[in-house]
Amino acid sequence: MSIIKSVMFDEWRYWRRTKVATTVILIGIALALASVIVNSIEVRQASAERTELQRISEQTFFDQPDRHPHRMVHYGHYVFRTPSPLSIIEPGVDAFTGTAMFLEGHQQNTAMFSEQRQSSGLTRFSSLSPAFMLQVLVPLMLILVGYSCVTREREAGTLHVMITQGVKVRDILAGKFFSLAGSGMLMLAPLAIASLWAGVHGESLAITASFVLGYVVYILVWSAIVLWGSTISSRSNASFAILIALWVVLCILVPRIASTTAASLEPSPGKLETDFSVVEELRALGDGHNASDPAYEKLKQDLLSQYGVDDVADLPMNFRGVVLTYSEKKLTDVLNKYAEARMDEELSQAEIARQFGWLSPMVSMRTFSMMIAGTNLENHHRFLREAEDLRFDFVQALNHAHEHDLDYHTDINRYVNDDTAKAARVDASHWQVLSSFDFAPESAQFRLSHSLRYALQLLLWAGLMLALIKRASRGVM
Amino acid sequence: MSEPVVVAESLNVRFADQCVLDDVGFTVNRGEVFALLGGNGAGKSTTLKTFLGTVAPTSGSASVLGHSVTSDSDFIRSKVAYLPESVMLYGHLTGMENIEYFLSLADVKRSASDIEAALKRVALQADTWHKKLADYSKGMRQKTAIALALLRSAPVLFLDEPTSGLDPSAIDEFNQLVTALSEAGSTVFMVTHDVYGACQVAHRIGLLDQGKIVGVFERNGNELIDTEQVHTAFAKRNA
Repeated sequence: MSIIKSVMFDEWRYWRRTKVATTVILIGIALALASVIVNSIEVRQASAERTELQRISEQTFFDQPDRHPHRMVHYGHYVFRTPSPLSIIEPGVDAFTGTAMFLEGHQQNTAMFSEQRQSSGLTRFSSLSPAFMLQVLVPLMLILVGYSCVTREREAGTLHVMITQGVKVRDILAGKFFSLAGSGMLMLAPLAIASLWAGVHGESLAITASFVLGYVVYILVWSAIVLWGSTISSRSNASFAILIALWVVLCILVPRIASTTAASLEPSPGKLETDFSVVEELRALGDGHNASDPAYEKLKQDLLSQYGVDDVADLPMNFRGVVLTYSEKKLTDVLNKYAEARMDEELSQAEIARQFGWLSPMVSMRTFSMMIAGTNLENHHRFLREAEDLRFDFVQALNHAHEHDLDYHTDINRYVNDDTAKAARVDASHWQVLSSFDFAPESAQFRLSHSLRYALQLLLWAGLMLALIKRASRGVM
Repeated sequence: MSEPVVVAESLNVRFADQCVLDDVGFTVNRGEVFALLGGNGAGKSTTLKTFLGTVAPTSGSASVLGHSVTSDSDFIRSKVAYLPESVMLYGHLTGMENIEYFLSLADVKRSASDIEAALKRVALQADTWHKKLADYSKGMRQKTAIALALLRSAPVLFLDEPTSGLDPSAIDEFNQLVTALSEAGSTVFMVTHDVYGACQVAHRIGLLDQGKIVGVFERNGNELIDTEQVHTAFAKRNA
């Protein structure tokens, strides 16, 4: 062990004296630290803002005066997704998907205000997330620091001297590995501190520990890749070329190929095409605002027959409210069908892309990181579903008030004059039907169990690199 | 009674179709300086590499301190101080730091005063001890490497062309050091093409030509080996 330690400390001493490696490590730490600080501030601010906006939005809805219930259906309501504590490190899909949604009757709006859509090209570059830093840039920095860790000794002849002095090759390689891993851990330190911060702000200990552990394994994998590249190469420039090529393939090409393959294997229908299909189906459902629409004739006849009356005016409930409730249900079923199909497609694409984690540790780390942080696609879909549930519930609750708390005659005469308009209102206490929206990440157990496959991908990468280094060490002699 | 330390018996090494060592056999006893003399391509370095365990013998056997090079190379390396033709130490470290580092790799603990004593013994000027090795001459590097060997208390020294590139005074200093080490009980096995240098320090010289030992010369009592005789034999083989 003391020999491994000596090799490791000597490598650090070499880096310190040659300054290049030290500079790269310091830049890495500074970038990681800066990205963590900037992201933490932004996410904390966004979290506070969205919580406050959610409160204001709910209060504004509740504070509306007596109105016609259907005006409140169209008045609508906003829901905001508060970021998960670990999104200070891993924004995941949150940076690309919207964080707020306007909920109203007869519509399923898309989420708005995604960070990436709002920012220009240059500000996108400035918002490098700590996760991106660690997943993509830190491996590059490890390459810059360590590509010559073995080839340098080979070129200078000191490797031969060490071996002929009785130092075991595995001890030399272990020392080099730990020196590289140590520099990676220094760059990881800001993330570990930020994870603790997330723990203080409500994230579970199991999640923060797993999150940091995942990145530790990832750094170890890349340290091993760099060591392997340097071990199999006879010269430093060859090692550099091999490792840079590997970085381009593993961190840039494979993720890109993954998304392209996913889009090819699970093609999504165009938005225009989908929108036409939705409109066509909705048109067949009729217009809920028009109770005389032929689409509701059967509903009308059924009710008249059920209550033994000849006119809708004689029904014990407001027929217009009944139609609105009925049409909202039908319309929501259609919209949900398309929304679920779209989410299924997105998820299928994501699943295909995630399989590329077997080919790139960066892909497996990215997936694991998003899964654990609760910023993955499934989480975004859950936000959409929960927002839709809230929308449907409050719209139907208002339609229920329309149906039962507003007289049919008063309702149909509400445009006659101001007095009839005033009469066609329901009490503001009805607005309390709105449930509060509190979107939180999945439980720790759920996130851990769903990220197991990607943890396994990472561990397999670690095992593969161990085997490759073991094999390469035989050629050192 | 002589104690065999470095032994080669019917040693053969082949690279593809080429026979590099052909039935080589010799024994170097404890406290003895044995020089394997030969021209370029004679097989000197291959012999050395075989004893260091970096080249595997095709047949025959080679051992150091009774341990086979094929099965106990790690042990042999831990007991041997090897000085390559160009001493490869770390240019970014000082002489002292190099010694401290390589001692730590050999898991040998020595105090600063022990290291200073060794550096004085090899006559490395004190004002250079804390200078980076990149600024050392070849002779200074060699002295550093020998100081390291002394500190490791390695019972066996393998020297590869040790005087190549040294100036005459450095060669004299080096020869004196080797003699002193041998007198202190160290076994020295060197490969060289320097006839004069070999005759100055070696108790026995094996003349290697095309992978075969074609002649052995040894001291007569305290008399040095006759340089003229060795030179004639060497020149005949390398004409």
